[in-house]
Amino acid sequence: MSTNDVVTVRGLRKAYGNRVAVEDLDLDVPAGEIVGLIGANGAGKTTTVECIQGLRTPDAGHLRVLGFDPVTQASQLRPHVGSQLQDSALPDRLRVAEAVELFHTRHGTDGAQLLEQFGLAPRKGSAFGTLSGGERQRLFLVLALLNRPRLVILDELTQGLDPAARRDVWAAVRQLHEEGTTVLLVTHETDEAEALCDRVIVMRDGRVLDAGPPADLVDRHSPVATIRFTLPDPPDGLLDQVGRLAGVSAVDRHGPRVMVRGSRRIIAHVGAVLVGWDTVPDDLSVQVPTLEDATITLIGDPR
Amino acid sequence: MNSPTIRLIKAEFTMMRRDPLVLTFVFAFPIVTMLIIGGAFGTTPDRAFDFTNPSHWYVASYLTVVIGAIGLVMVPVHLASYRERGVLRRFAVAGFPRWSFAIAELVVGLVTTALACGLLLAVATPVYGLPSLQNPLRVVTALVIGAVCFVALGVLLGSVLPSARSAQAVGLLLFFPSFLLGAGGPPPHVMGSAVHEVARPLPLTLLTDAVREPWLGIGTATVQLIAITALTIVVTAVAARRAVL
Repeated sequence: MSTNDVVTVRGLRKAYGNRVAVEDLDLDVPAGEIVGLIGANGAGKTTTVECIQGLRTPDAGHLRVLGFDPVTQASQLRPHVGSQLQDSALPDRLRVAEAVELFHTRHGTDGAQLLEQFGLAPRKGSAFGTLSGGERQRLFLVLALLNRPRLVILDELTQGLDPAARRDVWAAVRQLHEEGTTVLLVTHETDEAEALCDRVIVMRDGRVLDAGPPADLVDRHSPVATIRFTLPDPPDGLLDQVGRLAGVSAVDRHGPRVMVRGSRRIIAHVGAVLVGWDTVPDDLSVQVPTLEDATITLIGDPR
Repeated sequence: MNSPTIRLIKAEFTMMRRDPLVLTFVFAFPIVTMLIIGGAFGTTPDRAFDFTNPSHWYVASYLTVVIGAIGLVMVPVHLASYRERGVLRRFAVAGFPRWSFAIAELVVGLVTTALACGLLLAVATPVYGLPSLQNPLRVVTALVIGAVCFVALGVLLGSVLPSARSAQAVGLLLFFPSFLLGAGGPPPHVMGSAVHEVARPLPLTLLTDAVREPWLGIGTATVQLIAITALTIVVTAVAARRAVL
């Protein structure tokens, strides 16, 4: 736990009847970071953030959010938190500008400016029911930011959006980060977490499996990069030199096709060797492990 | 004037104004049916109508049709729709005070009742004439208590029914028998005894009696007023807890 932490959770437990949704969960969200909570459906992500928001009462554990207890001090906490909830909408007939007026408090930021910033100014007279998925999510972001929150919680922000709309929403989240807002992002999209998060917490069956920067998680749980190229007649000694490079774990050759496996560091070294031999294949391709690979390894690990 | 509760009340009024179910059921339906049935039995005082003008009997009865439509159809469907779509959760996490939504529903329900009743009387007066109020204090008391009772009943229904569709189905199932047996249908004197026994304890029947009898001077309906007051206290206490964000 650090004094810099916006959210601190220790030993959180929440069950619904006999089904345990979250068990002995520890979590920290440092100020100014984007922290991702990832895992398969049913991992306990949404229950965790609902406890953090004070929407659910934990069965056990200690939670502090911006110095408040979210259960007993929800009314003091909520004005400081901007939330985008999973499976939550607005009345279909409520217009964009009316929604901003409804959720805007005296100490809030300029709603019209936020609508402009998120590209919704031309739609301010439109009813919520007529907005596209991307526009709705951007409106939820606007509403979450209206009252200058110190913490923004985004739960499945881009679920169901087309790729262009996802990119728009990602740009908006990056903008928040640049402005110093702390963001807790709940998602089951690993590419989203990898693109946006400073730190990622991987959950399964209500428990934390591992946490850290996305690159560290990839290094720990899916460290193998694969390089493929075609060399019909490789110079003598080239493949031996590649095989001796630090970090290379295997060099396979099937006819003219060559496949080299190893740590991410080998990518540059293999390239350098090929250039050194003046043998640059036209079809060289590199498969770099992603957070998705690491998450699949982690979640599939039977521990 | 920018408190969260005031903002919520304003938004709820806007939503109510744009809701075709409200416009149809709360404003149009009572007026149309009152105009039809109010003219069906003529204006000659009749024994079936406690020797009052049948048109006046129905004018004095139809204010509670408005109250029933609000409490059994408008409020439950509205609230269940909000719960189903997560709107209430959004209000809660946005920091709206715990009681703000309950207060907003009550204010919107009561003001809508006043507007719809005013419109109904404005239409009835030039057509059938306004029956003179024999005991205005009792009538107003019964109307206010009844309006609170049915808004609370609507909140309770909306908070236990799982979806807007189920709220609409259950609401209509409760509304139409209550309407036909207790407010806008045939007078109790022409009903068979079994139907009369079923109709008598219905909340809308109790409320209609508590309004109509002192209005037309055919009774005080004290028992009915006490019963509807007791029901209001119980239902409001339960509904208030259910509507907390």
